[in-house]
Amino acid sequence: MAATQTNPLRVGLRQERVISPQCLVIFGASGDLTHRKLIPALFELFRQRRLPTEFCVLGCARRPWSDEEFRSRMAEALADEVKQHENSWQQFAACLFYEPVDLQQDQDVVRLGTRLEALDRLRATRGNRTFYLSVSPAFYGSGCRALANAGLLKDANRSRVVIEKPFGTDYSSAQLLNRVVQSCGKESQIFRIDHYLGKETVQNILVLRFANAIFEPIWNRNYIANVQITAAETVGVEERAGYYETSGALRDMVQNHLTQMLALTTMEAPGHFDPEAIRNEKAKVLQAARLANEDEPWKCCVRGQYSRGGSQAKPLSGYREEPGVNPNSTTETYVAMKLFIDNWRWQGVPFYLRTGKRLPKRLSEVVLTFRKAPVQLFDAAGGTPTANQLVLRIQPDEGAGFVFDVKAPGSGMRSRPVDMHFSYEESFGEPSDEGYVRLLADAMLGDPTLFTRSDEVEAAWRLYTPLLELIEDAPWQLPVHPYEARTWGPGAADNLLAEDGLMWRRP
Amino acid sequence: MAPQLTLQAPLELPPSEVPDYLNRLWSESLKDSSGAATFTLVVWEPSWLQQQLIRTGRIDGPISGLLSDQLLDAARQAVGELGLPASTAPTAPELAWTLGQQAGNHSAEDLRGQFVDRAISAHQPRRLITLAPTLDAGKNLESLVAAYCPLPEERAVNADACGDVVVLRGGMGAMQQGLAMLQELIPADLPCWVWWNGSMDESPDLLEALAVSPRRLVVDSSIGEPKRCLDLLVQRIEQGPVNDLNWLRLRTWRESLAMVFDPPQRQSALDQVVQLDIDVEGQHPVKGLLLAAWIADRLGWHLVSSFWIHGQPGEERGIGAEFQRSDGQSVQFRLMPVPVGISKMHPGALVGLRLICSQSDRSPLCVILCSESGGCMRLEAGGVASMELAEEVVPLPNESEEMELARLLGGGHDSTNPLLAAAAALAGKLLPN
Repeated sequence: MAATQTNPLRVGLRQERVISPQCLVIFGASGDLTHRKLIPALFELFRQRRLPTEFCVLGCARRPWSDEEFRSRMAEALADEVKQHENSWQQFAACLFYEPVDLQQDQDVVRLGTRLEALDRLRATRGNRTFYLSVSPAFYGSGCRALANAGLLKDANRSRVVIEKPFGTDYSSAQLLNRVVQSCGKESQIFRIDHYLGKETVQNILVLRFANAIFEPIWNRNYIANVQITAAETVGVEERAGYYETSGALRDMVQNHLTQMLALTTMEAPGHFDPEAIRNEKAKVLQAARLANEDEPWKCCVRGQYSRGGSQAKPLSGYREEPGVNPNSTTETYVAMKLFIDNWRWQGVPFYLRTGKRLPKRLSEVVLTFRKAPVQLFDAAGGTPTANQLVLRIQPDEGAGFVFDVKAPGSGMRSRPVDMHFSYEESFGEPSDEGYVRLLADAMLGDPTLFTRSDEVEAAWRLYTPLLELIEDAPWQLPVHPYEARTWGPGAADNLLAEDGLMWRRP
Repeated sequence: MAPQLTLQAPLELPPSEVPDYLNRLWSESLKDSSGAATFTLVVWEPSWLQQQLIRTGRIDGPISGLLSDQLLDAARQAVGELGLPASTAPTAPELAWTLGQQAGNHSAEDLRGQFVDRAISAHQPRRLITLAPTLDAGKNLESLVAAYCPLPEERAVNADACGDVVVLRGGMGAMQQGLAMLQELIPADLPCWVWWNGSMDESPDLLEALAVSPRRLVVDSSIGEPKRCLDLLVQRIEQGPVNDLNWLRLRTWRESLAMVFDPPQRQSALDQVVQLDIDVEGQHPVKGLLLAAWIADRLGWHLVSSFWIHGQPGEERGIGAEFQRSDGQSVQFRLMPVPVGISKMHPGALVGLRLICSQSDRSPLCVILCSESGGCMRLEAGGVASMELAEEVVPLPNESEEMELARLLGGGHDSTNPLLAAAAALAGKLLPN
């Protein structure tokens, strides 16, 4: 969300919630995520004066760095920011510390405890600690165990653990991981991050639905004909081939990001704005969701893989030609599917989800298509009457649009669709925080609203289990259809909707 | 949120024995406790209004130091009965002073320092020291000490951190004596907050002695003589970290005004402001001046002059000023006191704000912000009907002093908010001599 101008009266007003004195411990501090996302997000919070004076970051990794080396590496990674805000960086950098730690080594964890106590005294952080596991998913369980065994998670009010995605690779591994982390601390201490939930526009789904009286009465099967949820990327697999080959689009995007958008769009209204109330409703609706055809899942899902495309001047490689990708790979880079939700609100309403790499546009949106008017009184200028559509644009051009019919100018009584348009940029101007800024702040505030709870994660994995099993056991039944790079996916995905007399929205 | 009483009845000790007693307490009775590694909170808690209302029999005791609804009702009733202007806020020092001229000799138990608001106790202060001056100026210094630990159901798994409460009570002379022992009572290795919960301009030497840097001072610039409040605020900010509750209460006004100018197409109007009007309750302009100064500072205006505006005899006087925008154009500012039937809790509450922007290519934009509880007829008059109008209602702040303070304690900074620092300095210049 780019802003052309900044409102000078807005400066310094984002202080509604202040983070308590705190030590943020980042495991995997030498990794990519730390200098690309976490430290920039923390520096942004610092510049917004949302971090208390009694604050520190303890970076932990196996590399034998010193505090000074950690600071200078972070400064190097954030060179542009540092140059722009030299003084602020000097103050912020004084909060950065480093301890070489291998969580698999008991003596390292004991030393970590000692260092944290020393930092508590030095920075008066009052024993409040947030442990951020930015490590390989294989170490989530053992990392939590090491922290618990060292007594670092004993105080449920003052310590919490943030775990990056992916949380498990299927239903049973997620269950197992949940059991392990829950044996280390209370559920209230576990913050499973899904950075999509840090997006302003994803959170806006809740506000739009539950702060306005006009939507809720029509937000159900009586008025909504179908819902499409799209997350399209223009980029290919880039540097992530190693990870992507083992996950694919289903695990990488659908199980978490798209499912979270689905849950927020379809959940019941919580009794009050309380983390547990919201997460209860999300879990409930995911538990009621199912593939449109669980017995024959290949009939309600299409997988695809991008092949060569682009123009002669700018050719694009196919997925199998990307560095690090198996030339015979059957990993899907595109997936489309049809779901139902078996509850009173949504019975019979189809939900179509799709996501893919190397599509023509980068965009995420939720489109609710309403039922047509029962009687067609007017001729439509476009030939057929258009159904009303509410489009929630998650990114880019964040906002919402509502498509409805009006009288086309002229002597006749012909209808034509128009678009009522709300744009975050036009209304607010201010750029919204990067997702990690919001989520890191929330984790340190101990607010789990935007983090996924164990039952949500499990319900999400369970929803896709028939597909995952099919891919594992009989992949030929769910083949990977090639699609040309920079097109809207394989033709089979269009057929999925054509069977219902529908088409994907072309944004 | 209900205030909590200390669990243990405080022990009264001779003042000279307090430091030793506390040392013994921590090395013997509480030797297994780590002691909350949090902060010390020193509270100047004169509660003159409550003491005077109790003395004159208008409310019953005990003296708690808290602004209850019953206390505020009694204070508002006293305003009328004592012939003070209806705009006099219940917390205005002149009310307590006028009550002080009335006869009465009722007394009540003094429990100041023993009621701890839950919002504050949730932060587990390591030591809470209350300085509680009494109406009897000659009263000797009394000192009370109590330790507390979280109840089993309130504490976390290994949260055995405890804290203690010290109350120093007596006449103003005795307070000086209490001040002498204060340094010894404040743990050197923890941050220290000083909440000056009284009139800003009373006992300036005491304030000076308490607010030694790097202690973090919390004041309320709505309480006290306006000129002295602003001068002291500026002076304190120069010397160390300061938080002003009066400034924090401006948040809803600042947010509402910023919201009007969030749409980028409106933002250019901020460069073309020609007039700013603010209406306040009664004769305490500090809050209004802080708001005006914040706007001027954010928009880069330069103060040219300020002056008193004298109305008809019997009318209250306002403040006028001229600013110069960065493009050299003039901005006129007027702050006017307006009468109200029932005043808000603090002196000088804002009633309304009007900002007029003369836009070169379209009709002028007039922004009117109006307090939820007030009317803005004065600001809505004067030809604004022909302008592009943006009107908003500003919600009343609904948080207690203790909640505001708890918010500060929870995420404290050891420096003054730069926006407050800039606004206070300019507000000081805006108030004519």
